[in-house]
Formats: sequence, structure tokens, C-alpha cells
Amino acid sequence: MAASALVGLVAAACGSSSASPKSISGKAKQTIVFAESGLGTEGAQTAKAIKGFEKANPNIKVSIDVLSPNSTTYLSQLEHDFISGSSTPDVFESDVTYPAKFAQAGWVKALTSFHPNMGQFFSHEVAAGTYHGTTYAIPWFDNPEGLFYRTDLIKTPPKTPNQLVADAKAAMKADPHLKEGLAFEGAKYEGAITAFLTVDSAFGGKLNPSNINTAGNKAALSFLYDSIYKYHIAPTAVTGWQEGQVEQEFVSGYTPFAIDYPFVESLATSAPVKGHVGYIPFPAAPGGTPGSALGGEMLAINAKSAHAAAAWKLISYLTSPSVEVARAEATGDPPSLPSAYTSALYAKAPYFKAVKTLNSYSAPRPVSPNYLQISSDLQNMISAVYANSISPASAIAKAAPTVRSDASATPSS
Amino acid sequence: MSGQAIAPAAASEAAPTGGGGGTARRARRSSRRAADRRLGYALVAPAVILLLAITGFPLVYNLWNSFHYVNLSYANVPQHFVGLSNYTRMFTSSSWLASLERTLAFTAVSAVFDTAVALGLALMLHRRFPGRGLLRAAILIPWAVPTVVSAMLWQTMFDPRAGFVDYFLGIVHPSWGSLTWAGASVLRSWVVVFIADAWKNVPFVAIILLAGLQVIPTEVYEAAKIDGATAWQSFRRMTLPLLKPAIMVALVFRTLQAFFVFDVIYIMTGGGPGTSTETLSFLNYQTFITNTDFGYGGAMSIVLIVMALVIAGVYVRVLRPEL
Repeated sequence: MAASALVGLVAAACGSSSASPKSISGKAKQTIVFAESGLGTEGAQTAKAIKGFEKANPNIKVSIDVLSPNSTTYLSQLEHDFISGSSTPDVFESDVTYPAKFAQAGWVKALTSFHPNMGQFFSHEVAAGTYHGTTYAIPWFDNPEGLFYRTDLIKTPPKTPNQLVADAKAAMKADPHLKEGLAFEGAKYEGAITAFLTVDSAFGGKLNPSNINTAGNKAALSFLYDSIYKYHIAPTAVTGWQEGQVEQEFVSGYTPFAIDYPFVESLATSAPVKGHVGYIPFPAAPGGTPGSALGGEMLAINAKSAHAAAAWKLISYLTSPSVEVARAEATGDPPSLPSAYTSALYAKAPYFKAVKTLNSYSAPRPVSPNYLQISSDLQNMISAVYANSISPASAIAKAAPTVRSDASATPSS
Repeated sequence: MSGQAIAPAAASEAAPTGGGGGTARRARRSSRRAADRRLGYALVAPAVILLLAITGFPLVYNLWNSFHYVNLSYANVPQHFVGLSNYTRMFTSSSWLASLERTLAFTAVSAVFDTAVALGLALMLHRRFPGRGLLRAAILIPWAVPTVVSAMLWQTMFDPRAGFVDYFLGIVHPSWGSLTWAGASVLRSWVVVFIADAWKNVPFVAIILLAGLQVIPTEVYEAAKIDGATAWQSFRRMTLPLLKPAIMVALVFRTLQAFFVFDVIYIMTGGGPGTSTETLSFLNYQTFITNTDFGYGGAMSIVLIVMALVIAGVYVRVLRPEL
């Protein structure tokens, strides 16, 4: 802790000596730094795309800075660069929840001057990159969270949450290999919020920071709580599960239902789940709509970059249809361009049909410069409920004023 | 170091002298002393400068921040003086007060329990038995492992699917075979934090106590044995009193380590469920890193440092005769 604080302090102290943006001729040979978190196939695909970019733009060399795959550490690493006033990375991968905060802090460059064609992207992800009407980040790929189910065990996908519970119980009874009926992210981290959000709109809920104490939100959180303590279809172990553990439960054949991101589909490559994977929005309760949560990654430019034009060229290249499709086929990262969802893509990876359906339902998390504080409040609320320390209704009632206060906090307050 | 250099020169010139020669010698001696002093300062300067850079500067900068509004999330708001408002905000914050309570409780329990266990361990390692040297070396391994690594190891060991803890508990009683630990309840979350923290730190305390045991003269025990003292009486009336200085040194270290506990909580519980395992250091981290509020975070850090100094001061005052 002390070390982190020291790094932050020293970084802040050095901030005043930062480099100021310089305009560099488009013809000059230049190197830009691209910070991203991709490892494995994602990292390899990024490297491949960068090679293609460098070939098309011989005057620009891209240095890839691979940061932590852990989202919290990744954010800290980026923040240290920005706080110190560093002009690198020039371009960086950003979670959908970062742009508003970065824009308010003055760390990212407004992209208006590049005249981006935002109409070509999914509109909900465009909204995540927009702050006070200005575009600060471009959608790179779009990750709608939804409900996976085993098509061999669940013959007809459930139409309501109650039916999901009944199906899960029946499946657990019929198949002794199943260890639970539903797996979801319940650890105290950002994923617990997206799992909750996936269920939330199915009960008519909405994560509006000015008032989260609504009947829909209470019903959604109660459902997840009940799945552990009343229906007994989810184990208490969910309190330690992130998306990786949920994916493991599903692809290992331990659960007929799992709330997770699309990447699970590409990993379900062996028995007993191979060829038996369905992916749908969370079934709606009366008064709700099918549920999905918006996840995804965007691309943005450091406000102090000396190579903004080159950085923009890279963003344009990485978000072009052919590059996005190549990434989707190689890594399973769903394109952020609706136009990329073609029959050719479906022929190679049929599950993208389901992903596109989920895209039309995916609910965004609050777009706020104070989102990290809001997220912390929500994580506290959700983890306390899953640990059975407080009832869902009481937890939401208790968290509502804190969320409202944090969301509306300004420098003068 | 400079004192050692000066001593021989001073001794050689202690002989009586007289006249102008004496004055010249005194001048030479004074000049040599000044040169030695300069050399001493020059030799320690790099260390002092480094310490000031990595400790002094952040401390002063933090203190300055604590009296200012410094929130890096707001690009257009200049830093400005706010007096004591960061401190009053902290002392009236329910989350800070709750974290303080948790931190003090954890510190007290950890310091007492870990020192007691370490004492047992040190007494065992002090006895002669085959493989003692190997065991003494092996016991330091947990201490040498970085806290983040040891916390992740324990997280895996307490995992209800992959961990061995539930496996062995399940052998004892079938219903204990699938217990969920961190995150599943407040009590269990603290239990795993406590165990992981103790595993890491008890060996260090044990080594301090072992060193203390080794300087107790064996003649004392032999005399007690001749006088017919039982093992318990020897321990109670001789070992404990003679070990008191070492125990107190160990307590100071362990108390301050526990007071600043962060890594193990960050890895194992993330401060949850809810905020139930958030300690002062964890809250401080969140304020700095999540909220980028360096003014409020600075105030928290300063108060943490002051509290640590008070704890250390109390120990030193209480133990001065022994130390």
C-alpha cells in the first residue's frame, strides 16, 4: 500500500515536468506506444494486426506495451502514467467504464477533430465513450454478458427466471455430475456488477445512480441471493468466483447455466459441453426485458501524446471491419461494428449470431466520471448480500444514498 | 566510523607538549578532525540523500497534500488550501472509524496470538534434536515468500473446489468438505486473512525469540535444575523474564506489521464481504488509487504514521529498562 501511495505521490510530483503535445509531420518516421492488456490469443492477434498496420503505414512503428491482465492493476498502471504526465502510451485499450473518468481528469484526447464515424458502431458502446457530448473513446470490441446453458440438458431455453430455477433443479436431479444449477460471478470485483446487471433488466431494474432503491433492482438482487440461499441452485462458492471460475464450472460440465461473457463459447471445446452450448439473454420476469450487461473494450488517445495523428490512424485501422472480423475469428472478441456480423462470420463462428442478439439488449453501467466510486459502493452492497450479512432489500436501501452521493460528488462538495 | 578513525590520532597526541610546537600540533589535530568529519559526512551523504528522496520527500509532500484539495480526477480544479477539512472529514467518517476499529482489533489479536505461537516455535527450535538446523532454515521460507504470493497460495488452499483445507475437513466431517471461506461470511473471511497473515509472519517473530533464547546462559538452567526446579518453573521464573527484551522487540515489529496490514486483505477478500475486512491501509489505498484523492488520502496516511509512532513510542517507553 505504502509503495503504491509513494509511486502515486512521486508520479504526481513529477507531473509538472510533463512533455507537451507537439505536432509531428505525417511524413516523419515516428514510434507510438500502444498499451493493451491482451495475453495469449488476444495478444498474438493484436501483434498480428499491428504488423499489418505497420506494413500499411511504413512511417509509423508501434511499440506494444502489454500491461496487466487484471483490470484493477491495469487501471492503476494507466493512472500512474497519466498522473505523472507521461506522453506515453499514445494510444491505449480502455474498459467501457474508464472514458468518462479519464475525460474529466483531462487524461484523454477528445476525438472530435478526427471526425470519427460513430454511427458505424453499436450505439450503447458509443455512449460509454462519450462524455458531455464529446467522443473520447472508440469501441474496439463489444462484450455483452448473458446466460449460457447446456442444450443437451436444457431442451428448451427458459422463458422466465422461475423456469430457469425449475430447469436448474431438474437438471441437477437428473445429472449427478452437475455440482450446481447456476454459476455466476459473485466475488467482490467489477464482474459481480455486470452479473447483477445481466439479471437486473430482466426484473425491470436499472442502475441509475440517482436512485438504485427500486423494486426492479431489489427483485434482481433477491433472485441472485435466493439462488444461493433459497433455491440452492448456486453454491456459496460463487462469493469467490470471477468470470474465469464461472467459465471453468461451465466448460467442465459442472453447471447447466452460467452467467458469463461470450469468450466462454470459444473455450467449450471438449466433452461434455462441446456442441451443447446455448447463449441467450437472461430470461425476463413479468415487467422486465431480456437481460444482458454491456462489457467491452475501447481505444483512446493520451491527451499528452505527441503522436495523436498516428495514434488515430492506428485506432482507425484496428476498428476497421476486416481487422475486427479477423480478431473475432481468432479470439472470440465480438466486433463493435454491427456491419461485421455477416453470414461469412456466422459460417466460421455461429455463436456470433447469439452475441449480436445479446448486443441489442445489453445494458450499460452508469457513464460517470465517478464510476469507480460507484462501482466500489455496488461491490460492497452485492458482496454483503451474497455473504448473507444483510438482506437484498436492506442492502440496496443502505447503498442508495451512498451511490447517489458518490455519483454527484463534485470538487466543491 | 569517524569516531574510530579519530581515536588513535587522539591517543597518540595525548602526551604533554610545550611551546610553539604544541600549538602547531593542536592546529594539525584540529584540522585532521575537521577532515575526518568532512569525510564522514561525505560517506553518509549518499545514504542520507537517498533516504530523504524516498522517505522524506513523500512524507513532506503528503503532509502538504493533507492540508490541500488535491484530487487528480478533476483536471480543471486547481489545488487549494483547505486547512484541516481533510482531517475533520476523516475523523467524522463512519467508514474510517469502522476501519480503525477493525485494524486495532486485528492488530491486538495478531500481535498476541502470533507472538505466543512464535514463542512455542522458538522454544521447540531451541532444543537439540536431529534435523534442527534444517528445520530452522525451513521455517524462514514463509517469511521469505512475498505476501502477495503467500496470500494467493492460501486463497488456493482455501478454495472449496481446488483447496486441500476443505478436503481434509471433509475427512473429519462430511459436511465440512465444501465450506466456502473468503467472501462467504465475515467470520470466515477474517479467519483466512488471519491464518495467511500468521503463516507469513510467525516465523519472523520466532527467529527473533530464538535469538533471545540463545543468549540466555545455560548455567542459569543448570543451577535451577540443581535446586530442583521443574520445567514449568524454569520457563516461568527464568526463561520468560530473561526473554522479555526479545519478546518486546518482537511485539513491536509484529504490532506495527499487523497495524499496516494490506496485501493479504487486498488479495484474499478485497475488503469484503461488504466492507467487513477493510482496514485503514486498505481504505487509504482506495482513497489514493481508486478515488485519486491525494488530499484526503494524504491526511489518512499522516494519521496512520502518527498512530504507528504512538504505538512504537508506547512500547519504547514501557520497555525502556529492558531495551
